[in-house]
Amino acid sequence: MSRPERLIDNNGRRVDGRRPDELRPIKMEIGVLDKSDGSAYVEFGGTKVIAAVFGPREAHPRHLALPDRAILNCRYHMTSFSVEERKPLGMTRREIELSKVIREALETVTFLEEFPRAAIDVYVEVIQADGGTRTAGLTAASLALADAGMPMADLIAAVAVGKVDGQLVLDLCDLEDKYGEADMPVAMAPRFNSIIMLQLNGRMSVEEFKKGLALAQKGISEIYHLQREALKKKFSELAPKEA
Amino acid sequence: MPIYFTEHEIVVPGQLLSDNGKRSGEGTYAYAGKIYAARIGFASIRGNKVVVTPFKTAYKPAPGDWVVGIVSDVKPNGFEIDLGRHLKGVIRMPDREEVMSMGLNVGDVVYVRIKESGLSGVAIDKRSRIRRIESGILIQIHPAKVPRLIGRRGSMINMIKRITGCDIIVGKNGLIVINGPSPEAEFAAVKAIKMIEEEAHTSGLTERIEKLLRGLIGEG
Repeated sequence: MSRPERLIDNNGRRVDGRRPDELRPIKMEIGVLDKSDGSAYVEFGGTKVIAAVFGPREAHPRHLALPDRAILNCRYHMTSFSVEERKPLGMTRREIELSKVIREALETVTFLEEFPRAAIDVYVEVIQADGGTRTAGLTAASLALADAGMPMADLIAAVAVGKVDGQLVLDLCDLEDKYGEADMPVAMAPRFNSIIMLQLNGRMSVEEFKKGLALAQKGISEIYHLQREALKKKFSELAPKEA
Repeated sequence: MPIYFTEHEIVVPGQLLSDNGKRSGEGTYAYAGKIYAARIGFASIRGNKVVVTPFKTAYKPAPGDWVVGIVSDVKPNGFEIDLGRHLKGVIRMPDREEVMSMGLNVGDVVYVRIKESGLSGVAIDKRSRIRRIESGILIQIHPAKVPRLIGRRGSMINMIKRITGCDIIVGKNGLIVINGPSPEAEFAAVKAIKMIEEEAHTSGLTERIEKLLRGLIGEG
């Protein structure tokens, strides 16, 4: 899509009709795949992501296994049909980087020392990309880990803030990401208010950065609430109340 | 001690459970003097500890656990036992003579006790009898469901054994061997065990299992 004339209209509405501090409609589903130990499907507007967790299982190749804890492997991948122009198969430089970023974020909350010598594999597959795939992927991956029964300190909720037409906005869509002035994905473990991942692409003043972070925190607390609801809903279905 | 959950509430990782960090039990962790859930499961108080009983969890070997394993390697100084998933147990033997005298071979199914589990791997107790299982149906269930299969003081498993007449060996790691008088009895036991795995958290399960088994076996 080409650049729209303005990213924010006279009424303060964004290209998709949202207010600056509004998240896209979010959908979360837990346990969508049968063959993995844990899985989750997350939708942030047009961004659709599936995450699957396998493990703990034997670490391969064997020499990578650690004697005191599990290793966590992560693969972030975009399907060829997730973007407007077909993405060639295989891992691009960007995907390799995001795999690492997501892995390092997940490692901070997972109690890997519970499973020495094992490996935990996390697959994040982007079905459709409309901005904010790393944050949606991280949100989904932490849900999938929780679904797999992995011991964790907290869930991870993530969202991006950015600057478009000189204004701070929450949860960028693809257009805003492409043609805006800045994009800052933030991931947090909301329970302890700790930032687990923060990247910034573009320019922001210190003041804008602080405001942006506060805006991200607001979005994250909403997402965190939805995550907990989704998990509780899935498992209460599994376990009908004692009659 | 202030508690922030109701008995058998479903809790998610990171949920605050209590202010008394000293009472952190299984499935929880203490941070800055408070207890949080580490897993998704039911929160409850067991003894003086706050615990979370997980819905799903990988088997973590503990000393004293009886497990079913498959011999995966015979080495000059012992055996390697596959305990399902990523876990490998080892039986260490002083010399080759001892190894040969055990009469175990790759592929044999054994019922063994765990001596210790730590940084040096999972060691198997040699003093408790290492039992080679000659025959039976080997099935695997989720290790988190094993306590439900056994039931309170063995009520569930004993009922299955009584009705089907099968000998059932349950490993804490989720591997189970069933040995019965007839294939029908064995299949009935497998069906009951699979049903327990599926419906572990529902109430009135014991009655339903009994009904299922009576239906499959008849009144015999």
